Amino acid sequence: MEKDEALTAPRQPAWNTEVLNCATEKVGNHFRNPNWDNSMDQSDPFESALSSMVSSPAASNVPVSGENVIMRELIGKLGNICNSGDASCYTTPLNSPPSFDFSMVNLLNRSTLTPFSADPGFAERAARFSCFGSGGNSGGFNDPLMDSFNLSGNQSINVNGSQSNKNSGSDKKNSGVLRSSSPENAESGVSKEESSVSQQIQSQNDSGTRKRKSTPRGKAKEIPSPAAVDAKVASENDESNSKRSRRDGAPAGNGNAKASNDGNEKQSKENSKPPKDYIHVRARRGQATDSHSLAERVRREKISERMKFLQDLVPGCNKVTGKAVMLDEIINYVQSLQSQVEFLSMKLATVNPRMDVNMEALLSKEMFESRGPLPHGVYSIDSSPAFPYGYQPQQGLPPLNNGIPNTTETPFSMKTQGFQLPSIDRFTDAHPQVGSMWEDDLQSIVQMGFAQNQPQSYQGSIPTGQVKMEL
Amino acid sequence: MDLHNLNPSSLKSRFTTRFLRALTEINARKPIASSSSPREIFQRYRRIKDAADTSMAYSVRSRRTWSKATLWRLRTPSHRRRLASFGRRSSLNKTRTTTTASHRGAVVVQITSRGGGLGVQLEELRELVPGGEAMDLCNLLDETAHYIKCLTTQVQVMRTIANLYSLE
Repeated sequence: MEKDEALTAPRQPAWNTEVLNCATEKVGNHFRNPNWDNSMDQSDPFESALSSMVSSPAASNVPVSGENVIMRELIGKLGNICNSGDASCYTTPLNSPPSFDFSMVNLLNRSTLTPFSADPGFAERAARFSCFGSGGNSGGFNDPLMDSFNLSGNQSINVNGSQSNKNSGSDKKNSGVLRSSSPENAESGVSKEESSVSQQIQSQNDSGTRKRKSTPRGKAKEIPSPAAVDAKVASENDESNSKRSRRDGAPAGNGNAKASNDGNEKQSKENSKPPKDYIHVRARRGQATDSHSLAERVRREKISERMKFLQDLVPGCNKVTGKAVMLDEIINYVQSLQSQVEFLSMKLATVNPRMDVNMEALLSKEMFESRGPLPHGVYSIDSSPAFPYGYQPQQGLPPLNNGIPNTTETPFSMKTQGFQLPSIDRFTDAHPQVGSMWEDDLQSIVQMGFAQNQPQSYQGSIPTGQVKMEL
Repeated sequence: MDLHNLNPSSLKSRFTTRFLRALTEINARKPIASSSSPREIFQRYRRIKDAADTSMAYSVRSRRTWSKATLWRLRTPSHRRRLASFGRRSSLNKTRTTTTASHRGAVVVQITSRGGGLGVQLEELRELVPGGEAMDLCNLLDETAHYIKCLTTQVQVMRTIANLYSLE
């Protein structure tokens, strides 16, 4: 039976899988993203983005004086807030910057310690804000705050230790410890702090939005939920006018200043789109608290997150910002990929595979050159678990063949003339000689519009195998 | 370049196996002769392309909307497809015009732009991604990303196969 032959024949070409995997896996590994296997687990882009953000201040070449300025700015803000004495108003802002102080302090500790020691008042304030585990020595902290920062006490104790031992040589060791663990601590500190924020805000919440209480608790461990949690937190808190965005330390001052202006402007508005694709927009205070705008915000953040993911997927999109241009790039890329598939299937249609002998020889030769022996697991694919549809190509294709009318030829030629062959060159690194040969052939086919005369260049490529034709 | 990447259950290996199976079947049924007319070559091309799309959609095992749409598109005859798509489109509150000019028999839907200036591009994206007509932007981006990943796999595999074939 033909079917049996077809089924048994791939036993040998199944070796192709190994070759192909070896040949192209290094590119394919980029796409074997566990995100997709888990139906887009959203935490990974966030974590990576978060860690990259946290570690970027360290990577950036900030001068020593600049670090002092930044630290003083942040600590100064904290001092002003704490000294005002109204703890309930500022629970949220207190929660957010200290985590960045941790990260900043941890990261700055790597570079230098003497500036901290040189300014005793500065160090005292930093120590005051950072030693939460040692009991409330500053009046502005609530007990829930103490609990919240006890969660991240691991980190704070390290910071405290480094701050208090500023004159000793053990600072280097502490900072070494911090250095190794700071990204994780920053991330975990942030996530724990946010869960504590949500719990704490809910304890003070007396508005009617009680239905949202359960969800932040349930999602306290998930990192993508901070977007939703913060949105809800911000909506529940109408008392202050600062909008925070998760930015680096250096532009934090500028970002906060600009954000506070934006927050002031947006107080009057119902809800407005975020200016650009921020990774995160937190705690937009004074915004409308209805569920529609919140859902809108969550949806928009999901969309922006997916746009970021697509940006990684499409090559050459790192510099592009904005949804419209990104979408254009994505559309172009998808079109080029589809045209490549058509091009390659055309190529396969014209190349006669003398598979039985040469394929094995080629494959074996290629395998011995660069790869190793095949694992036997390849053959298990044929007996892999039942496919839902019982794929039988030989049944599916003949109806298609009958269904193809002649009028489809002209659209095909029109479409292939729309092939952007330069775009193929741009996106692929195919064998140039083979590709150019086939481009010419393809163009010749197209131009002749499937006339009766055959392109002569086919003769060389099609080995004179079987002359017998079935029609 | 090691053997750790030879994952037999990866998308690439699944697709490769299926596609090679289909390819050998196509070649066995109608072997290429040196005197093939362009018409035959075209038919062969269509079959190969459909086999590639089908095998890719099967490799995903219909977990995705685009794979379901591809399989449906390739299995349903075009006249039945048009009727069904009319019923499907009418359930959406969008103005539409349907044309059958595309060689795939795809239905082009014009969607009133909403949500800002992204309307035109959204519509284009919906056209490109199979099954994308009835999805909102969020899911559409999701589908697009997965579709791009599978397309690149398909292109890689097909290119390697073509190179191997043409090297003889």
